Formats: sequence, C-alpha cells, structure tokens
Amino acid sequence: MAGFFERIVHLDRRWIFLLVLVSVATPIVIPIGLPVTTTGPTRAAFEFIEALHEGDVVLISFDYGPSSAPENDPMAEAVMRQCALKKLRFVVCALYALGGLGLANNVVAKIEGEFPNLRDGVDYVNLGYKDGAAAVMRHMGEDIAGAFPTDVHGKPTSEIPLMKGVHDLRQVKLVFTAATGLIGEWWITQVHPQVGIPVIIGPTAVSAPKYYAYLNSGQLVGMLGGMKGAAEYESLLRARYPELAKFYTTTRAFTATKGMDGQTVLHTVILLLLLLGNVAYFRQRRASAKARA
Amino acid sequence: MRLAAGLSLLALLVAAPIAVATPTGTLPPAPPEIPAPLSFTAVDRPGDSGDAILLTWQDPPGLPADAMIEIRRAQPPADEWAEVAEVKPGVGRHVDTTARDGNVYRYEIRVRSAATADSSGIAGAVGPPVVSDPAASHDNWFRFERTNSLIAVVLFIGIILGSIGVARSGKNIFIRKIAGLNALDEAIGRATEIGKKVMYIPGSASMDDIQSVASIAILGNVARATARYGADLDVPNKDPLTFASAREAVRAAYLAEGRPDLFREEMVNYVTYDQFAFTAAVSARMIRERPAAIFLIGYFFAESLILAETGQSVGAIQIAGQADPTQLPFFVATCDYTLIGEELYAASAYLTREPVLLGSVRGQDIAKAILIVLGILGIVAASFGVHGVADLFRTQ
Amino acid sequence: MNLEFGRVTLVILFAIVPIVGFFLGLRAPALRSRIPIFVGVFAGLIPILSMYVPKKFIAGPTGMSPRLDQWLIILAGFALLLGIVNVLQNNMRKISRREKGWPFSVVLLIGLFVTGGFGVYGGISGQGIGIAADGTPTPFQYVTNWFFQPLQSTIFSLLAFFMASAAFRAFRARNTEATILLVAAALIMMGRVPLLELLAVPIPSLQPAAASASQGLGKLTEWIMKTPNGAAQAGIIIGAALGAASMALRVILGIERGYLGLGKGE
Repeated sequence: MAGFFERIVHLDRRWIFLLVLVSVATPIVIPIGLPVTTTGPTRAAFEFIEALHEGDVVLISFDYGPSSAPENDPMAEAVMRQCALKKLRFVVCALYALGGLGLANNVVAKIEGEFPNLRDGVDYVNLGYKDGAAAVMRHMGEDIAGAFPTDVHGKPTSEIPLMKGVHDLRQVKLVFTAATGLIGEWWITQVHPQVGIPVIIGPTAVSAPKYYAYLNSGQLVGMLGGMKGAAEYESLLRARYPELAKFYTTTRAFTATKGMDGQTVLHTVILLLLLLGNVAYFRQRRASAKARA
Repeated sequence: MRLAAGLSLLALLVAAPIAVATPTGTLPPAPPEIPAPLSFTAVDRPGDSGDAILLTWQDPPGLPADAMIEIRRAQPPADEWAEVAEVKPGVGRHVDTTARDGNVYRYEIRVRSAATADSSGIAGAVGPPVVSDPAASHDNWFRFERTNSLIAVVLFIGIILGSIGVARSGKNIFIRKIAGLNALDEAIGRATEIGKKVMYIPGSASMDDIQSVASIAILGNVARATARYGADLDVPNKDPLTFASAREAVRAAYLAEGRPDLFREEMVNYVTYDQFAFTAAVSARMIRERPAAIFLIGYFFAESLILAETGQSVGAIQIAGQADPTQLPFFVATCDYTLIGEELYAASAYLTREPVLLGSVRGQDIAKAILIVLGILGIVAASFGVHGVADLFRTQ
Repeated sequence: MNLEFGRVTLVILFAIVPIVGFFLGLRAPALRSRIPIFVGVFAGLIPILSMYVPKKFIAGPTGMSPRLDQWLIILAGFALLLGIVNVLQNNMRKISRREKGWPFSVVLLIGLFVTGGFGVYGGISGQGIGIAADGTPTPFQYVTNWFFQPLQSTIFSLLAFFMASAAFRAFRARNTEATILLVAAALIMMGRVPLLELLAVPIPSLQPAAASASQGLGKLTEWIMKTPNGAAQAGIIIGAALGAASMALRVILGIERGYLGLGKGE
C-alpha cells in the first residue's frame, strides 16, 4: 500500500495525460446527456437580449480565432439564433486578425441556412474584418460606415437598408463580443465609456475570472464564461424556444452542451487525482516525520 | 309651389353630400395633428476634432406609435434641404458627422409617421418642421468631459516627480523584498554551474504594450548577469519589434559588461508570429536543450501554461512575471517565482537600485494609497445613499 | 505635396531628427544613445495630448496621433521582414553546418516558401487569399484550412493535458495558503459542472438530491467567483494599471532606459 502511494506522489505525467484523453474522448463517443445549471451572469445576458424589442440593432463582434472556436462558436451561434427568433437586427464584424473573419463567415452561413427568411442587408449585415481593433471600435463609436465603408460582399455600407438609421454605436442597443485575449476587454474599457453602450462578453474560460470585476462594477451587463457559459446559454435558449431543440440534438454538430459531458468527466477525474495525490502526500509526510523521530 | 320645390331640391343638393359623407350627420374628422419637436438646437459638438454638429431636441408628447424624427440640412444661401438622418424617438440627439469645418448649415427637424394619413388622405404625414439657427463646426482645444481624468493625471505626475525629487536628494527609499527578482542571480548562477543555457521569453505582445517594455528592461539586467557569469543566453521572440529591441538590449548589455566577445547574433532570435507555432517551437527547444533557468516575463496569453509546464518538466528553475491577471494562476502553479501585477514594473528599479527609479515606485505607491482612501470614502458614501462620488470618477 | 502641420511635425520629429542625430552620433556616441529617448518622449506625449486636445492636427483623422498609429503598423511590417531574414539566416546556417535537427530546418523553410508563395500568387493573380470568386478555396486558404487551423487546435488542446498535470502537482496542501487554494479549486471544479449528477448516474433515486446539492454548489461557486475573486481581480487590475502608468511616465520622461540596454548613468 505504501508503495502504491509512493508511486502516486511521483506519478509520471503521461499517465495523467492518458486519463485526460480517455475522460474527454469517452463522452464524445458515448454521450451521457448531463443537465446544465445556469448562473447569474449568463442569465443576465440572456434576459437582457430577451428584453430588447423587434427591430433593435445588436452588434456581434467576432474577436477570436480558430484555437478557441470550440468555446466561442457556440456562444456566437446561440446569440445569433436568439436575435433571429426575436427579430432583432444584427450587425456582424470581425476584429481578430488571425481567422476571425473566416469564423464569422462560417457562423453567419450556418444561421442563414437555419433561418432562410433572414434577408442580408435588411435583417442582418456582415461588415467583415478591419485591422486596428481599438481604433476601429472608437471609429465605430463615431461613424460605423467610416470604419467599415463596405460590407463583406463589397456593397457600400451607406447603401445597406439596415444601416440607414444606424450611423454609430449610439443607435445600437447592445454589443456582444465573443472574445479571446484583449479585444473583448477593449469593448468594455474604451467603447462603453465612450458611448455608454451595454456590453455582453463571451470570453474563454481562462479569461472569465477577470471579467467578474467588470460585472461587479456594472461595466458589463452579462457574461458567457467559456464552454460552460455557452452551454448555459444553449439551455436557456432551448427552454425559451423549444423549436431550437433540433439544432442541439443532431449527433454530428458540436454544441457546448455536448462538450460539457467531457468537461464533467474530466473534472471528476482531476478531483479524484487531487484527492489521491494529497492522501499520498500526507502519508509520505507522516512516514518521513516518523522516520526522523 | 315651384319655389318650394326648387328650395327643396336645393336643400337636397346641399344635404346629400353631407349625408353621404357623414352617415351619422356630424362633420368629417380632421387628420390627426403630428406635433413638432421641442427645444431644437444645433451647435458645434464640444470637445471634438471638428467636422461634427450636435443636434439636440425634446420629443413632443402625443407622438404616433410609428413616428420617426427626420433631420434635414441646408447650406445657406441655398434653400435645398437634403436628408441627413432618420432617428427613432427617445434618442433626443444626433451628431451630423458629414458636416465640414468652414461651412455654415441650418438644420430642420420634423416628425414623420408612415401610418398617419395627411389631409389629402395619403399615408406618410409629416409634422411641422422646426428650423435651427445657423451652425458651423470647428475643432476645439479641450475635451471638457475628460477634466477629471486630466486632474488625476496631473496629480499623478506631480506625485511621481515629487518622489523622484525626494529620492534625488539622497533620502533612502525602502522597497520590499521581491523574491522573484532576488532569485535572478541564483538562477543564472545555477545555469552557469551546470553548464546549461538561460532561456528568456519576453512575452507575446509587441513593444506598444508597456509589459513588453518592462520585460526588455529586465532582459537587459539578465543579459548583464549572463555576460558576467559567462552563461549562454537564448531569447526566442514572437513579435518582430520586440525581437529588434531585445537584440539591441542584449548587445548593449554585453558591451556594457565588457564581454562583447561572448555576444552572438543567434542568441536573440525570431521564431514566428503565430501564437501556437511559437509555443510549439519554444517547447520543443526546451525539451531538446534543457535550459537550467527559464524566464517567462512579459504579456502571455493561452500559451503560458504550455511553456511553463514544459519548462517545469525539464527541471529548469522558472521565474515568471506578468501584470495582466489572466495567466497568473498558471504561472503561480508551475513556476518557482512569479512577479505579480506591478512587481513587473518595479523590477527595473529593484534591480538597478537607481534612486530616480525607486522614487517613481514610491510615488506610484503614494498614488495607490490615495486611491484606496478615495475608494473607502466612496464605499461609505454609497452605503449612506450618496451616489455622486462614483460619478466624479466616470470618464469618457 | 500635402504640408499639413501635423504631418510635417511628425516627419521632423521621427525621421529628420533621428537621421541627423545618427550621423552626428557617429562622431559623438553619447548623442546616439539620446536619440531613442528623444523619439520615445514624443511617441509617448503625442497620444496623451490627443486624449485631451482634440484639435485636428493632433487628434483628427489625419492628425499626429492616428498617423503615428499607422506608422507603427507599417514599422511592424518592416520589422516582420527583419524577423523573416533572421529565421532564414538561422535555419540556413543550421542546414549548412548540418547541426542537430537540420532536416527540420529544411521542412520549416519549405513551409515558409510554399505558404508565402501561395500568398504572393494570390495577390498577383487577383484571387486573394480567401475563397475565390467561384467559391473554391485559394491555395493559401487550403493551407490555412488543412494545415494551420488543425495544427493551432492541436497545440491549444495541449492545455487540457498540461492543466491536469499542473493541477495534480501544484494542488498539494503544503501550507495554509496552498490548502485554501486547493479547497477553492475543488469547490469551483465541482460547482462549474454537473459532477454530482454524474456520480448519481448509476443510482437514479439519488438524482433529485444530487441536482439540489449541485444547485447549492453552483451558488457557492458563483459567490466565490463574484466576491473574493472579483475583488482580487479588481485589485490586481488597478495596481497593474498604476504600475503601467508609472512605467510609461518613466519611459516618456527618459528616466527608464533599461529597455534600450542602457544602464546606470548612461
């Protein structure tokens, strides 16, 4: 037994890697279907968008790259679906240099397929990518068409029906930023003070703890923290709009809810390892103390 | 008889249209009046770079449900009104950013209702227009909404300069121990003893981020130490500007220590701009070359844990430092020493012990103390229902 | 020629003065080290001025501050060229000397030239580097979709494995602080996922109790994230911001010279 705990204290990390692989892969192959409970920041975000009125304009900013797509894509899709169902008009832009535009195009194409009645230029518009992030945001606070002279198809922004009456961010009711890194934070620290527009952020799980400070100070109206936040939003959406269930139950499409099964199993395995590791550590410490005595 | 018949016919001819129009016998209703906006002003937008005119108004009561506020502009002496914008009620302001400095404009504002019919029965009635006084835009010398910020900056600069003045006068400035910086010499000495290299990674951000500037300043000190001890130094870079600065800093450090012969160009090398390609390359380098000491100082993103954990796996002594809190937990869990928050910025003062730099660190601490006191006052005030204190610190 | 005041001032401050100073510095080395400090002073002062003085020549669309931002982007582009030259030099040297691992340098250079070549081809042919007009991916987009993105995701996914091994090693109750860290981490890990419901899967009768306990854990987790964590994050952010402001002031005033490789008294 002592030998077992000794081996645990000095466990080769490759065994841990193997356990992680099995923990994450198994629920993907054999889905468990665990329930998802919701938290305050996600509910606040959901209810804020629910309280908007038909025809209100929402800006959805793609501020992440392919590396965090499994966390951020489900958030962007869920918010866009909610906007489509509530008949909110949404403006899409991408400010992340490496891959943001491609991801924005993919998600917009997906939503176009799910809601064929949506009209490009009337119900939504994709303004594409612009370099300069913070400078572009400040410019949008003054003049969106100045920051994005054309949409992603090359049509002049001033000729797009949706953009008539939406001159700058003051006419937009909400900014939703799906973000990794700094760009999401700039919406809060630069644009929100500039024009007073409410901001909801969907950061990666690693960055989420930092944004609680902004939630507490009222600079954010809601947050979707990582894949858990995305899964919570999906469950809120399904509960409010049962017709969306079909988008979250097809076996081939990845959703945050499906990802939570793997995360749950992984957390359980890590907690067991922590418990074993600490028990082994204390036994070793006691044995050393006895040997010294 | 004929007269009576004629009068009756006349009465019938007069009454008939009225009877047809108003089956109930009352007068036809007038088209609903659309009210005009109130208190309409057009002025140069204050505190801006020009080319913008600020229009403000109050929405009148009794607006139709589908009302929109139509704004038009003319450039005297011409009388042609061109549409500028259409705004929903409830906004009360619009900034015309198509105005140009040097031109005088007049603005007209009126309410349009798509569903309301006008007096001829056609939908899309507009209310009476209200015309503004002539207005012209120009750039301004000061943004008044940032006055509180300017006062704070001036005070801060004053405190820093005052503290530097005190330090220059010879007064001893105390600075608490920072374990990570104390361990710098120990780490480099260890690397020299076992004949392995020192690896210094200055973060992923460019030189426009102050953390990168702080990192390069610390790199200068590390390079001096490696020059002194004769240890090998490897500085892989993700950002090209940081790479250029790092190379100059290391070259200057070796020159200053009188060991230019030990400096090699390939010590400071550029890897790639992509975050994870850089991480893969540096991790592989750590595993192959097994450096004895690794410094992870600067602005890191998701790659922080991969680099730190790989460094830990090769048995290197690791000193990390970052001001942004996001990646700090990973550094704390995997590195031997971590510089947290502003310890990174105090490093150059700590390592060089230059009085001027120490004075600025002291000034920064005084400013922090003032902020803490203000914070406590704000909490007390808010607890007693006085919310204006927080508004004093709001800035645009 | 457009002789705006802002543009002329920038050219004088950031081009003419440094070039003249460089040549003068060939005779007086002490002067040469002053030039970067001179540039740093104005590079810092101009954006600060533009925050408070919105005059067109400073903060307007073609003013000094936005123009300086654009020059920085252009400078970064040239610096990237410097980096690429360095990559080429280092790897060619490795190949020519047949140093350990030289075949990987060959692979790197092939990747560099092929991808760069596809990008240049996309620019010259007018196809671009995204999706071509006929809807098919350009060669550059093909490399992005089938090499770059999967490789990025692979390296990023290493985080999950490393997090587990780092947690196993670091979360030992060695002392009071480490114990608090361990307990907080365990509570958060349990509260963020339906862990109790997972453990109750084999025993369906325990599911309601598990769900209720999970809700309580979730509320505790939320409190930890919002209150102690939120307070600590705010403190670090504010402290770091003050430190950054102080460091920036030192750079602008020319007091901080370590980043230039200059030491005490230099």
